[in-house]
Amino acid sequence: MLDIKNLHVEVEGKKILRGLNLTVNAGEVHAIMGPNGAGKSTLAYAICGKEGYEITEGSVTFKGKDFLELEANERAGEGAFLGFQYPVEIPGVTNMNFLKTAINSIRKYRGEDEMAAVDFLKLIRAKAAELDMDPEMLKRAVNVGFSGGEKKRNEMVQMAMIDPIFSVLDETDSGLDIDALRIVADGINRMRGDDKAILVITHYQRLLDYVVPDYVHVLSDGKIVKSGDKELAQRLEKEGYAGLGIDENAA
Amino acid sequence: MSEKNHFSGDHIASHFEAVKANLPGADIDWLQSSRDEGMTNFLETGIPGPRVEEWKYTNLGLLKSDVFKNTEASGDIAADVVAAALLGGLNGPKVVFVDGYLSETHTNIVEQEGVELLSLTEFAKSNADQTQKLLLHAQNSGSLSNLNLAMMTGGYVLRVSEDVKLAEPIQIVHIASTSVASKSLRTLNYIDVEEGGRAQIIESFISTGGGSNWRQNNTYVTLARSAALEVYQYQTENSETIHMAETLVEVAEDADFKHFSLNIGGKMSRTEIKPTLIGENGNVELRGAFLGRDGVSHDVFTHMKHMVPECESDQIYRGVLDKGGKSAFQGRVYVAKDAQLTNAEQSNKNLILDRSAEANSKPELLIYADDVKCAHGATVGELDQDALFYLNSRGLDNKAAKALLVEAFVSEVFDEIDIEAVKDKYLTLAHSWLEQGE
Repeated sequence: MLDIKNLHVEVEGKKILRGLNLTVNAGEVHAIMGPNGAGKSTLAYAICGKEGYEITEGSVTFKGKDFLELEANERAGEGAFLGFQYPVEIPGVTNMNFLKTAINSIRKYRGEDEMAAVDFLKLIRAKAAELDMDPEMLKRAVNVGFSGGEKKRNEMVQMAMIDPIFSVLDETDSGLDIDALRIVADGINRMRGDDKAILVITHYQRLLDYVVPDYVHVLSDGKIVKSGDKELAQRLEKEGYAGLGIDENAA
Repeated sequence: MSEKNHFSGDHIASHFEAVKANLPGADIDWLQSSRDEGMTNFLETGIPGPRVEEWKYTNLGLLKSDVFKNTEASGDIAADVVAAALLGGLNGPKVVFVDGYLSETHTNIVEQEGVELLSLTEFAKSNADQTQKLLLHAQNSGSLSNLNLAMMTGGYVLRVSEDVKLAEPIQIVHIASTSVASKSLRTLNYIDVEEGGRAQIIESFISTGGGSNWRQNNTYVTLARSAALEVYQYQTENSETIHMAETLVEVAEDADFKHFSLNIGGKMSRTEIKPTLIGENGNVELRGAFLGRDGVSHDVFTHMKHMVPECESDQIYRGVLDKGGKSAFQGRVYVAKDAQLTNAEQSNKNLILDRSAEANSKPELLIYADDVKCAHGATVGELDQDALFYLNSRGLDNKAAKALLVEAFVSEVFDEIDIEAVKDKYLTLAHSWLEQGE
């Protein structure tokens, strides 16, 4: 589904990713772990097309398409979703309006008709209930005045509504208490499927107790330096990055 | 009088002499005297130049040679043009001005007991003393207010009696209809709400023809104890119009004044709002947005005067400036020595969509009391790139994402409006302005 080859990315002239290779197939859940500054978020942004993340070498192919040729919104239209580490506050735009615009933009990209208002309301009520979100929150401005946990839960509601093929979750677990973590993990697990894939980016092994990955990769200094199964994450937890011979302060 | 401070108004004086015998109300001697006095006062000072602090951001140089003549009362305009200018779903009185003159044909006064709505000259005939007192406001105001008094071709008077609540909002529409160049459109209005009375006014300024216009619309308001007035203004004048709207308000004890404005059109707009709080527990809310691009400049000047204790005022203005747009917000808050426990807030945020745009913001707080709460904030910034990417990542293309963010930025100012037709109009106007961008 996703094929990243020899990816080099610079941000403001600084080399962050230095030849990263990663293949994610349909039905798989991959976890990317690594010390701070290793380039985890850069990888997420580069896949999803954030401006200022300059690809100097390499390729990203999604379902056979050259992803790097597409704008961020087009990548969303193709089925990619980014769960943000720091979800952005948007004053004056209600969650409801935001989601409706998002869903219809994606539908438009795919040449589909807009979703009927009734169907939209039904869907959003169902998804909010599944993720235990107070329906009143849907009327509030996107993320404005939300707690850290509420923001992450909101990301999960958006993901559930958009129903992406490929989800990238950038440190979605950071700053969450155990209850919020369970809700987020539950949200991610709902996105699993034979024709879907998930890339979980995390600093800690904690989330992986709930979202069990098929593959775990360790990112350090802009490259994947070790790959394995879920055992690798447990080893990291026990021995630390240093135990694997990775300098925690490499960057 | 140096030209750097003021431009001479002599070129207008001769035009005044030529038309004065034909101005509405010319048969009322004392009104003619008031006009003469207005012209004298205007000529004494002239047109404010760039060295005058209050006008430093808006150069009136283009008024220094052009006369901008009064037009004749034009026959009339088609009913469908008027209908298009009115907001639907409102059944209240409708007052229509065409090229500065009250149009008898299109004005529709819905009678209500305790509500008087008529033309200024009609009012002047039977209320000499009161009108003269009212015109003193204009004479005591700036030179341009005096010019407007001298040259005005009409206006409306609204009086709401004690404890009377207007059944429906009044719609006032000012239409510039002919395409003659260099015409002036000047109106002077008076609103008097007695104790406990309540009224809502929706006032729009539109152009259906081309040609350069100099519009002035000055309104003098008195709100008695516990009275309430809401004014909703918007202007979409043609791109050659110099639009000036001034509102002076006296707010008595427990009275409540709300003013909303949206400036989109014109070549240059100047909105002046000057409330004076003269009774305890008075409340003033000013809200407005201005959107400019392609050489359009908008200037909002507020002067909030807290003369007595325990009043509240709150101002929120938002500007959106695209390629070649310019704006200025000057917000003066004066708190007199005796006006203890005043609560005055002011906020002006501006969004710059293109590096060629310019937004000026100048809060001016003159506080002479020592136990008050006064807050002000002013920002000029670009669209939040993180917010744009957040929307992009959810499937919105750049244009849609920008539109959503800008509309949200503007609409916050109009959130609390409860006349749906007005709120919709404001949002629709803002939306179509955005659509016209690149």
